Amino acid sequence: MEHSEKGKEAKHHDEEEDEEEERQEVQEIWSWGAGTEGQLGTGRLEDEHLPQLLHLPSMASAGPISLLSCGGAHVIALTSGGRVLTWGRGTSGQLGHGDMVNSLYPKLVTSLQAYFISHVSAGWSHSGFVSDTGYLFTCGDGSFGQLGHGDYSSHCSPVRVSFFVTKHVEQIACGMRHSLVLLKGSSGFRTYAFGSGKRGQLGISNDKIKSVSLPEVTHGLEDVRIVSITANGDHSAALSVDGHLYTWGRGFSGTPDAHFPQCLLSSFLFTRAALGWNHALALTSDGEVFMLGGSYHGVLGDLEKMSPKQLPDPRGAILEKVSGLDALKIVHVAAGAEHSAVVTENEEIKTWGWGEHGQLGLGNTCDQTSPQAVSLSNNPKETATFKVFCGSGFTYAIQNPCV
Amino acid sequence: MSYDDVEIEDMEWNEELKAYTYPCPCGDLFQITKDDLRLGEEIARCPSCSLYITVVYNLEDFLGDSDQRNKNNLHPPKQQPLAVA
Repeated sequence: MEHSEKGKEAKHHDEEEDEEEERQEVQEIWSWGAGTEGQLGTGRLEDEHLPQLLHLPSMASAGPISLLSCGGAHVIALTSGGRVLTWGRGTSGQLGHGDMVNSLYPKLVTSLQAYFISHVSAGWSHSGFVSDTGYLFTCGDGSFGQLGHGDYSSHCSPVRVSFFVTKHVEQIACGMRHSLVLLKGSSGFRTYAFGSGKRGQLGISNDKIKSVSLPEVTHGLEDVRIVSITANGDHSAALSVDGHLYTWGRGFSGTPDAHFPQCLLSSFLFTRAALGWNHALALTSDGEVFMLGGSYHGVLGDLEKMSPKQLPDPRGAILEKVSGLDALKIVHVAAGAEHSAVVTENEEIKTWGWGEHGQLGLGNTCDQTSPQAVSLSNNPKETATFKVFCGSGFTYAIQNPCV
Repeated sequence: MSYDDVEIEDMEWNEELKAYTYPCPCGDLFQITKDDLRLGEEIARCPSCSLYITVVYNLEDFLGDSDQRNKNNLHPPKQQPLAVA
């Protein structure tokens, strides 16, 4: 089976090579924030308070990046040709390079080259990779069962999760100490979870589950067609095809933990969700951004000044509209542990939240309670589109030329 | 104000740092040594940022455990940053 995959990968690569080289010259990757583990790809082990344009030869030869996933202090890049590069902290094996050391620069995950990888996710210290044939691979810290191999060992190279050998995996989402998996069509659009479950983030039982090391079905989503999953901190979330947002795990703004997926009571249709460690962002089909847990988020450096918490709605925290976006529609959202980033319809990047490591990209270490415009030093090209991606304490932006 | 309250059973023993650790949102680790715990200290700090957490534990669980620790005195200085490659 591996041989046929290799053939497919090689063919795909040939077809796209010329086109890739052209696009490669204009795709720009920027990073800022916490950088002491090499996660910014700058070649330096230091924080950056302003966006840094990266010059990455290893990336240039791999083709344009279609997706970035940023974890605790490492980054996974997926190319449009199905290849995977990783860099940053590697001390738990989360980079998948076969060792347990940090990497200052993007490095190809060579053991996945036999596959066309279609989805990736970076957790606090573990990583997940999904191939277009529905295989799931995990590596990194396994001490909470978050790799799904039925034990608690760590791996420094991607290992296929044998539990899903007869199923087609579509997506993986890695949180602090847990993982979610979304299956595809023919095997049912099921959501599975494994790893630490203490805050209810697995959605598998009403009892306090310390951890499970084999995937179990998340309850309450059986009759819902889920199209995307996301995990961060001790939170889990899923979006349904009809625009409903489900969250479970650690409660927002001091509300009780949810041990099963809870559908957000809202008349809005959501198209994208992003999770931090204490907040969630939800993007509506009309380009509006709402936040859960906002009373905590964004005032982190100023906790003494917080007013006493209001009694939360027993069903969950209150969904607040993010103000200060000047009625601009939002096209992309991302959340770090304690900061947020969005892209507006006129291709401006705005950030807010915790700024101690420069993760807001505003040239300082201040916190911001409302969205602030980030300026990339080479003035945005009129024809460019942006995407933003957040790790725990850092941020990436990818600038693509308009087609 | 403390970033979070974390039970000691949710922290991980890090042999290299000789400390109990818990993920910090900056990407580094909150850390507290066994000696700190024995002294009744309940604040675990992050060497890279201003945040700290409150560790929830029973002091008695750590009082009987001091013989070998005192001999080696292996705990690192508090401000030591995470080792990088």
